[in-house]
Amino acid sequence: MIVAGIEPKAEMVHWWFATGILVLGLLFLAETVVGPEVWARRPWRRYLWPGTMFLLGLLLWPVMALYTNSMIHMVAHGSWAQVLMLSGGAELGVVRGKLHSQYWRLTSAGALLVSGTAFLVHEQNGWFFARAAFLHHALGWTLIVAAVFPLVQAIRPRSIVAASGFAMTFFVVAVLLYCDRDSAAILGHFSQFAGVPHR
Amino acid sequence: MKRALLVVAFVALVAPASAFAHASLQKESPSFKQRLAVSPRQIVLQFDQSVDALPKAIQVFTLNGKNIAGTPRAIPAQREIVASLPRLPKGPYTVRWQALSNDGHIVTGVYTFGVRVPAPQVTDAVGAQGPTRTEDIVRWLYFVGLALAVGGIGFRLLIVRGPLSARAQRRFFWVTGIGIVTVLETGITSFLLRGEDFLQLPFSRFLYGDLSPLASGTRFGQTFVIMELGFALVAALIYLAWLTDLNVLLWVAFGLGLVFISGLSLSGHSAADAGHSWLSELADWVHLSAATLWVGGLVQLAVVVWPTSPELRATAFRRFSRLATVLVALLLAAGTYLSILRLPHVHDLWTTGYGHVLLVKLGLVSLALTWGAAHHFIAVPRIERPGVTGTLARTLVGESAVAMAVLLAAAILTDSKPPPQPLPKAPVAAVSQR
Repeated sequence: MIVAGIEPKAEMVHWWFATGILVLGLLFLAETVVGPEVWARRPWRRYLWPGTMFLLGLLLWPVMALYTNSMIHMVAHGSWAQVLMLSGGAELGVVRGKLHSQYWRLTSAGALLVSGTAFLVHEQNGWFFARAAFLHHALGWTLIVAAVFPLVQAIRPRSIVAASGFAMTFFVVAVLLYCDRDSAAILGHFSQFAGVPHR
Repeated sequence: MKRALLVVAFVALVAPASAFAHASLQKESPSFKQRLAVSPRQIVLQFDQSVDALPKAIQVFTLNGKNIAGTPRAIPAQREIVASLPRLPKGPYTVRWQALSNDGHIVTGVYTFGVRVPAPQVTDAVGAQGPTRTEDIVRWLYFVGLALAVGGIGFRLLIVRGPLSARAQRRFFWVTGIGIVTVLETGITSFLLRGEDFLQLPFSRFLYGDLSPLASGTRFGQTFVIMELGFALVAALIYLAWLTDLNVLLWVAFGLGLVFISGLSLSGHSAADAGHSWLSELADWVHLSAATLWVGGLVQLAVVVWPTSPELRATAFRRFSRLATVLVALLLAAGTYLSILRLPHVHDLWTTGYGHVLLVKLGLVSLALTWGAAHHFIAVPRIERPGVTGTLARTLVGESAVAMAVLLAAAILTDSKPPPQPLPKAPVAAVSQR
């Protein structure tokens, strides 16, 4: 590695991003609970979650470029970086008034689909092969199924079910990411199918 | 209580135990690119988890492609795979390894070492075949992306300095946006293609091939990492400039773009081949930057200004014509210097492959320069006359197309190997003493 010795361990990076995703979930949930009108009373609030999403995408680039121990990881991390930037960027454009169609919300649906597919392609073993395999499948299918929420939001922007589902998706993804290492200090080693933890 | 929770959360995040999903090579002996004074007795690969040895877990190739490693065996307690070696004569060696990790994935890698000689670059490992035509195309797209992004921003800041109509502004951001995305995507593709070449694996196994020797052990890999991160930042700045209408962000993106372009100069022929110096690296950067600004400016003129802003055509054309004169002078000066450096003899131009490509590139450059000169000396004085702008729209597209062809020749040239430099003559005194 180019910065061997100072780069953080893979699990720490997973947990940092899990925290970022958790923050996103909290912001979505807060907006859903108070309603978009109350949420928009302070204009800066409208920039919060799209800005966080864009920033998370930008921060994923170093992960893509520095963790090069396999090709599939590079491609998966690169896809997540790009779809997060695209989705956050499109929402920022809508908030700023640069983009006008509500169908820009479809970029979030696309982002979830691409992210989910990247998780599934990146894991070549079956569900119950090991803990990491189980979590990758769970993450992939969660994201793919959850793409329906922004799809509904593009058609029915005021749907509370879609907004809540979208928010909860990020909570689930955050929890799964926190668990996504065999020695996870947070939430422990939860699956009997995962075998003996490495090391 | 709140503070205690925060402290617990912080400790949980910064001091975790370690584990990876599949095995990673932690240590190897002989180590990556090591130059050994004596022959090693065995190859030892240590992983971060216990692994199983596959039949060809360790292969050690001589320069002529013969595998000389003994039967590999796993030592689970030490998380190692070991293979014995015969006494190795002086020379470079390539180690190709593979291991079955706990999660069932086969991880694979390559590295090199030398016995009493320097170890070759991993891109020159036994089995690697060098750049292919696909890599030429990818590199060309990379150059085109750089021109559209960095050259496009340069045009916006230096030539069309004032406010643009909404349509022109939108088109400007589309062109630069396509450019920067092309740079990012082709950067990754180019890195993966180079990795595929040195790993020499079928696609399903290449998915889990270890690319870290390429990323950390070669100039190409190190500059890939830095340039990819740099251009991701440039992409974010271009986007934020569009979002906020702040031109200052474009200035920052332009500056960073020019800085990160230097990665190509610091990893190419000008930095690695015989005779390289800081001057050759600087000349390469000037050559590349001038070409980027010239081609990017031409595209902006033809695709953005001409169709969307008739009121700006004459001013933009005159200003760009003046800037292009300076750029072409820089391009020619730096290009001539680099050609003299890389081609030790004039006859190399027609006797070597590198020379042939250079001749084609020079022919295309001459055509583009003649076209530019016609614009400068014939079109500029007549630009206010009726009907001239319509003709110019077509000729600008033509000149842009020739410029793209120049970039293609440049891409092939970058992937080609220049002829070897003549060995320095030994001093007469030293010769006579022998």
